[in-house]
Amino acid sequence: MTRQSNDPNGKLMMSRRGMLLSGATLLAGSMAASLCPGMALAAVDAGAQSRFMQLSNLLIDHRLNPDVGARIAETATGQYTNFAGMLDAIIAIAEKKQAKTVEEFFGDIPEGELKDFAHWVIFAWYSGCSSEKRDAKVFTYEEALTFKTTSDVVTIPSYGISGPNLWTRPNVPLSAPMPRF
Amino acid sequence: MVTKNSADVVIVGTGVVGVVIAEQLLDAGHSVLMIEAGPRVSRAEVVENWRNAPLGVKGDTSVAYPPRPWAPHPTGAEKPENAYLQFTGPDAYDQTFIRYAGGSTWHWAGTSWRLTPEDMRLNSLYGVGRDWAFDYDTLEPYYVRTEHKLGICGPSDRAQQWPQTGARSADYPMPALPFSPGEVRFTDVVKTLGYNNIPVSQARNSGMPYDGRPACCANNNCVPVCPVAAKYDAETALHRLEKKGVTLLVDSVVYQVETNAQNKIEAVSYYDQHKQSHRITGKLFVLACNGLENPKLLLMSKDDRNPNGVANSSDQVGRNMMDHPARSFTVTTKDPYWSGVGPVVNSGIMQTSQGSFRSEHAGAYFRYNNFARNRFVTFAALKKGLVGKALDEEIRRMTACTADIVAAHEILADPNNRLTLSDKKDWLGLPKPSIHYDVGDYVRKSWEAYSQPIGKQIAEAMGAVDIKISPKFNNSKHIMGGTIMGKDASNSVVDVDCRSHDHENLFIPGGGAMAAGACGNSTITMVALALKAGDAIVDQMRGA
Repeated sequence: MTRQSNDPNGKLMMSRRGMLLSGATLLAGSMAASLCPGMALAAVDAGAQSRFMQLSNLLIDHRLNPDVGARIAETATGQYTNFAGMLDAIIAIAEKKQAKTVEEFFGDIPEGELKDFAHWVIFAWYSGCSSEKRDAKVFTYEEALTFKTTSDVVTIPSYGISGPNLWTRPNVPLSAPMPRF
Repeated sequence: MVTKNSADVVIVGTGVVGVVIAEQLLDAGHSVLMIEAGPRVSRAEVVENWRNAPLGVKGDTSVAYPPRPWAPHPTGAEKPENAYLQFTGPDAYDQTFIRYAGGSTWHWAGTSWRLTPEDMRLNSLYGVGRDWAFDYDTLEPYYVRTEHKLGICGPSDRAQQWPQTGARSADYPMPALPFSPGEVRFTDVVKTLGYNNIPVSQARNSGMPYDGRPACCANNNCVPVCPVAAKYDAETALHRLEKKGVTLLVDSVVYQVETNAQNKIEAVSYYDQHKQSHRITGKLFVLACNGLENPKLLLMSKDDRNPNGVANSSDQVGRNMMDHPARSFTVTTKDPYWSGVGPVVNSGIMQTSQGSFRSEHAGAYFRYNNFARNRFVTFAALKKGLVGKALDEEIRRMTACTADIVAAHEILADPNNRLTLSDKKDWLGLPKPSIHYDVGDYVRKSWEAYSQPIGKQIAEAMGAVDIKISPKFNNSKHIMGGTIMGKDASNSVVDVDCRSHDHENLFIPGGGAMAAGACGNSTITMVALALKAGDAIVDQMRGA
């Protein structure tokens, strides 16, 4: 029997079943928030979101989750007063070069505010956070792109990828193909 | 009979030490009331706390276990002047224990090295430190019980077991866990240097369910929480204890141990989270809050009969604080090692902890950390300003080709390494612990003359193209000392059963009692001492 100290009647604080249900609810809630960005977001207009994903897809040549992108965009609108203008400016640079990959236009982004913003967008997708700091906004954990670069070998901590005693494997050389993501 | 205010046995603390003793007493038919300062939470909540923490602070275990205002514990978020633990010595005693139901095994790695016979005779053999009050053969049956109680897996090959000296009277209940690619490569490399990297005996279910918990499936998240409870933590046992009838009082901060005219313990008092005081009586009391909270509580409880604090006629309460001072080598290699497959600590070199050199300096245990490296390298890779394929390849290279090798040292019991009560107060107005800590010349000499050269030799053999060595000793978060054991009541706090020399119905088991801690993680020895104390308590209660 578990009681909180301010529980004068010795009433059960939470039964095992209750704890399991609350855990399940918590997990379900987390999954729902992950799948339904509208639940977790303040309004970022659809046009800006779409432009942000357009920019992100120019800066990062991988499949990007628009739900994660919507969270990054929301923070970016608060963090960068010229958010919309910078989106347009970088997209225009890429379009002018008719760039298909980031390597084809990234060097043309002028140093300063625009280049810093482009690096921040990449940082956000790869780290899943707004900064290195303790108070960083978290956009995603398991979908941070850093984990995708090693997903053929390395576990995303807390998301096992093998099974009981089934993780013995050859040491993959660096020349092995990069996972597709 | 147990009520909200009384029981046969009152146990303060719900970590692994309190839990194993509680179960012994319940099985023997005694009523048990356990008091926990912090909250009881679900595993799902802890896992989500951690997953939702920023990548840059995932190394801080407290993000998964935010302290409650009334039950503070160390976090990485505080400025030193505001921190719960106050430090006064040359080295920080920077621990990460948590005040939650289930205690700090929530976030231990599960590593379970036994002491060796030599570790327990440090003074007799090498003329330094303290001898234990009994020998390895006395402790050995309790190690076996611990291995089976917690579910500790380990190798069946005697050459791969630890210790090599001393008996082993029973096999591990489960086989050793397999190595990751990095551990296989590391083992092969150090073998060329004459070092045997052996499987860690660890409280993790290997290839099979055990004790109602599932098999490890390599979530690589043992620290700060196993998401599936394949690793033993005391929280998993609380449910079983409840079925056996324990009363568990949470969010209740014990602040006083009360003695009576016979100088026996009469009661403990606690504050609830509304700062209201309550009193619990019992026949026998167990303080199971480990080496920081136990001495703090004893010192806070001083009274006219015990002016230096309860159980402190020897003036040894709070003294002899120990840990395993550690230095790390972050090695960048040409060829990949690939950490992050399997448990976070899965192997180690223990032979370097032993030898006649211990008369001069400490030994050290070397381990290859098997944490997934992404969170350690991502920011550095991003700072290089790379984009596109170059960025992907750099993160992948740095994840595969960096590794942390840790040298954990043996420290001697030193009465000057001491916990006292700070003038600074916590949320309830109780004094914060203040710790003077100096790793000492025994450790520093080891680092200069022994462990650092070995670490560099290992790094070079690994094919290091870069080695970064931590600039100071870090804590291994293995709290030992504070209520040291001995046969002589004038220079120790507890006897061979962890019973207070001063109060016959007070037991203070756990890491605080350890007279020497060698190099290996302390929990298995804490639990062995708890089981030994539990036997003594059952005997004492039978005679009561």
